[in-house]
Amino acid sequence: MLGAALAVARKDLKLALSGAQGLVQTVLLGLLLIFIMSLSREPGEMSPPLAAAAIFWLATAFGQILVFNFLYGLEEAEGARLGLLLSPAPTQSVWLGKAVAGWVLLFCCQLVFAPAAVAFLGQSVAGSVGLGLLVVAAVDWGLCALGSLLGALSVGRSSRESLLTVILFPLLVPALLAGIRLLETVISGRGLEAVGAWTGTVVAFDAVFTAAALILFPFLYTGEE
Amino acid sequence: MAQGLLRLCRVSRFYGERAVLRNIELVLAPGQALLVVGPNGAGKSTLLRLLAGLLPPSEGEITTELAPGEIGYLGHKTLIYPKLTARANLAFWQAMFGLPRDDAPIEAVLARVGLSRFADEEAGVFSRGMSQRLSLARVFLTGPRLLLLDEPASGLDPASAAMLRREIRAAADAGAAVAWVSHNVAADLAVCDRVVLLRGCRVAYDGPARDFDPSGLAGECVC
Repeated sequence: MLGAALAVARKDLKLALSGAQGLVQTVLLGLLLIFIMSLSREPGEMSPPLAAAAIFWLATAFGQILVFNFLYGLEEAEGARLGLLLSPAPTQSVWLGKAVAGWVLLFCCQLVFAPAAVAFLGQSVAGSVGLGLLVVAAVDWGLCALGSLLGALSVGRSSRESLLTVILFPLLVPALLAGIRLLETVISGRGLEAVGAWTGTVVAFDAVFTAAALILFPFLYTGEE
Repeated sequence: MAQGLLRLCRVSRFYGERAVLRNIELVLAPGQALLVVGPNGAGKSTLLRLLAGLLPPSEGEITTELAPGEIGYLGHKTLIYPKLTARANLAFWQAMFGLPRDDAPIEAVLARVGLSRFADEEAGVFSRGMSQRLSLARVFLTGPRLLLLDEPASGLDPASAAMLRREIRAAADAGAAVAWVSHNVAADLAVCDRVVLLRGCRVAYDGPARDFDPSGLAGECVC
């Protein structure tokens, strides 16, 4: 399963990064959101870290929709989904490959969002950057596990962008709230021990949706059109 | 009923209320080339998708002795990635089918379908016929025991279509079961062993190719 998942992830990343397909739109949308939100503060004024963290994760959540629509759209152009289903690899390897590819792409986008949020929202990061990256990567895995699972639901449907948004956002709430609180803690330089419950929420979210995806994905990703 | 690689027992398939196939009985035997014919809407493509396991039957049972990955399927779409080169497409499918990373089989199938010169070009710039040939290369690469080809000659020039018929016959002679849908019945009758005619959602003929009368093909599809 891992070999096939890596093949899917490698192929998706190659397609996404050659010509920056799927990335440019995501980065532009996120930057636009951060910039528009920054207009709500007075010049020279510093946004509260909680607001900055919320805007960062909002940009991430919208970016995630674009990323997974792009990743699942790759198979729809010439029907390659049927080929994946006929391969001897477990169907879950498609979920895992897309989740890993989405994780990498989303993280690349966030590497642009983060400095933009710091600059436009007037933040000074008091905590460790390494810890911040760890928090972002941990929350991202949950988002991508769920995004890759639900991305399969919207495959082949003309209204897939809106469908994915409608079903994904309500389920993302716990991970996003945890991400906001943890990132706010990192920005303000407090230790994560102050928000231990939110750390637990992220770990539980990642574990629950990884397990759920491994069980449910074969029922969602089928040859029916 | 004879043993086979795959058997359909009283299989029906509905899309909503509409029946596409009713009570289909079919056995696919190794080494047999089966031509599936019938008017538009008779359920030929649905039959192939049922055989491939891509659609579940609404009624009836499908049993198979094939392991996962032993079916090669070519549908109306080419199942290729337009932004990858022909070689990268095949390397991807090689990895997905758990085959060792090796350029030699890729070169061999590209040569077999006449695409060696275009191996490093993006598949998206290929003509319909070249895309179809790349798709055939994908099918041949994995060495399936059952080949299911839905109008494989679509978009192919006469020479490529003749090559395709030779490959179908060679695959059957090598022990694979081959089932393919075609509207060019006159040409394909020469290479098949058996014909199944679908009409009105049912099997109207299932027998040796030599006994099949193609002149009776014109008909309506009314379920």
